[in-house]
Amino acid sequence: MKKIALAVSLALCFGVAQAQEKTIKISGFGAKTGPVRGFGVNSEAAMLAAAEVINKAGGVKLADGSKAKIAVDFYDDRCTAEEGISVIRRIAGTDALVAVGPTCSNVAEPLFGILQKKVGDASDSGLQFPVFTDVAIKVGLARISEWAFRNVPNEVTMYSSVFYWLRTTRPDLKTVYGGVEEDFAHSRATWHVVMKDRANANNFNVLGESKWLLADTNFATQVREMKKANADIVAISAHPFSMCGALKEMARQGVKPKVLVGLTSSSTTETLQGCAKQAQGMIIPTSFAPVTKDGKFASAETAKKKGAADLHSMAAWENMFILKTVMESEKITGKDVQGDRRKIRDGLAKLKTTPGLMGVTKRTDDREADKPYLFVTAKGNDWVVLHDPL
Amino acid sequence: MLDFLQAVSDGVLFGATYALIGIGFTLVFGVMHKINMAYAAASVGGAYCGLLVLKVMGSAPPALVFLGAFAAGGLLGWIVYVACFHFIPLSSPLATLMSTVGMLLLIDEVIVHVTEGVPLTYPAAFDDVMLRMGEFTMRGDLLLVFGVAVLCMAALLLLLYRTKLGLATRAVSQQPVAARLCGIRLERVNATTFIITGLLGGIAGALIGASVGALSPLLTTPLTVKGLIVTVIGGLGSIPGAIVAGLLVGGFESVLQMYRGVTERDLYVMLLLFVFLVFRPGGIFAAKGGRD
Repeated sequence: MKKIALAVSLALCFGVAQAQEKTIKISGFGAKTGPVRGFGVNSEAAMLAAAEVINKAGGVKLADGSKAKIAVDFYDDRCTAEEGISVIRRIAGTDALVAVGPTCSNVAEPLFGILQKKVGDASDSGLQFPVFTDVAIKVGLARISEWAFRNVPNEVTMYSSVFYWLRTTRPDLKTVYGGVEEDFAHSRATWHVVMKDRANANNFNVLGESKWLLADTNFATQVREMKKANADIVAISAHPFSMCGALKEMARQGVKPKVLVGLTSSSTTETLQGCAKQAQGMIIPTSFAPVTKDGKFASAETAKKKGAADLHSMAAWENMFILKTVMESEKITGKDVQGDRRKIRDGLAKLKTTPGLMGVTKRTDDREADKPYLFVTAKGNDWVVLHDPL
Repeated sequence: MLDFLQAVSDGVLFGATYALIGIGFTLVFGVMHKINMAYAAASVGGAYCGLLVLKVMGSAPPALVFLGAFAAGGLLGWIVYVACFHFIPLSSPLATLMSTVGMLLLIDEVIVHVTEGVPLTYPAAFDDVMLRMGEFTMRGDLLLVFGVAVLCMAALLLLLYRTKLGLATRAVSQQPVAARLCGIRLERVNATTFIITGLLGGIAGALIGASVGALSPLLTTPLTVKGLIVTVIGGLGSIPGAIVAGLLVGGFESVLQMYRGVTERDLYVMLLLFVFLVFRPGGIFAAKGGRD
């Protein structure tokens, strides 16, 4: 009888201890439905893996010296603006302290628009909730709201570096021609705002561009235009499905530029599954490759959660560790949700540098990241490091 | 001029893929006077199932993958019939329309979940064959699609006009009540029609996958839209109409792409549809008035 009583008491004590274990909720959101579902799946896996690593090491230290575990939940925004806005409102209605996401730039842009523009502006009833973006990469979005932060690569810097490197190492290259997926916010902006401009800035002659849509399947006319231009460099700002279609059509029509440059988001296994043969030699700047010890570890942990490590999902991994550091340095209480959200926002705004899987990331005044990067190229069935410009 | 001809040729050949999808839409409409919105999605789904052959066997000739897609397409066609038509009152036109829209989304999402939305490479047939006449070129794989579309049309016409099943199908299409009084089992004929269009869809999906070189869930919506446009322009229920309209839309699209660019291309295709709806609502091959 005594033994039973002891067992019950122990069980009760254990139950109470379990109930008292503090948790800090971080919500992820992104596309887990539709053709870009893979991004959401990978981000969620990276966040869960990072949270597990943090929790195993004790969790997050709170203001009172106690420790709290990180709990991650992930919402599907379907890569649509209306769903994204609805999701962030739902997250803000919970006890989540910060959100990591979204996947798509067409979601991030309007979503940042519903956040309070300037912190402390009593006349602005916008949502006061910190969002730390891992994937949506279209240039300059964080400046929309002081509650918006991003840890995405700076494409202006990266493509500037690519074209500078090509200019200096391959003086025989004079002309550039673009291929652009015109109906996708990221790829469109990357060609029109970044690649074209950076090529011009590096004294290349941009001869023009061919446009197609994300779901297009016939590229004959566009590639014929490309063939006529006969440029030394063809820069394709498109996601794997349409990029592979265009590359295959280029092969059919015998378009062989001296150099192929691709979109940051296309240095993935998806491209190699779709058109490894045609993508051989394509150069893409990326902010992640599993070349460091930390990178390999993050990659392996994410794989355990059934996710793939790439420049986007590894940003989600980094965000989790950055948030842990900020929560500890800002001494969040774990009790005052809105107060803690504000502390996290202020902490993120203070950051000048953050540690990353590829090295130190610089933070800019407009809450964007200037991440380390390197150039990879498609070789066989892998992306291999071609050049480290830093 | 050469550019124009090349654009027409490219477009017309690619239009064969629209024609194949259009045939499926039009056949179901011809028999049941219903639109099966899930047809293109089921076709793409069938093509995806064809890839299971590769998964099981490790490697296989494209013909075997196409055969797998053909069979899976037929099965999916039957499933669509059972789920969206068999148990739903056909007297309510909106009910079947909405159920097939639901099925379209369901198939789309199943594909996305199974593949994580990642495009899968599809075995190509004749994709390295390029017929050249000076500067003028024609893709071998699209010529194959074109040939298959014509063969499908011929086979369907033979089936409809030279077999008992075809006779029963036409009877159900023209006078369902009289057909039932003659002992024809309507449900069986309808199910058979879905299986036949499904088989055709499987082949269409496989050939589209082969000509694109990959399958992606991104394909289902544009193919559904193009299939419907082709069906309306060709004349609801007309198989030759679907073929001609498919080629017409493909060529029109390609020429407009060349002259007006990708951002205006679809605008003009919709305008073409509008013109047909206003001036020739029955389509190119408007069906003659039946006994009804």
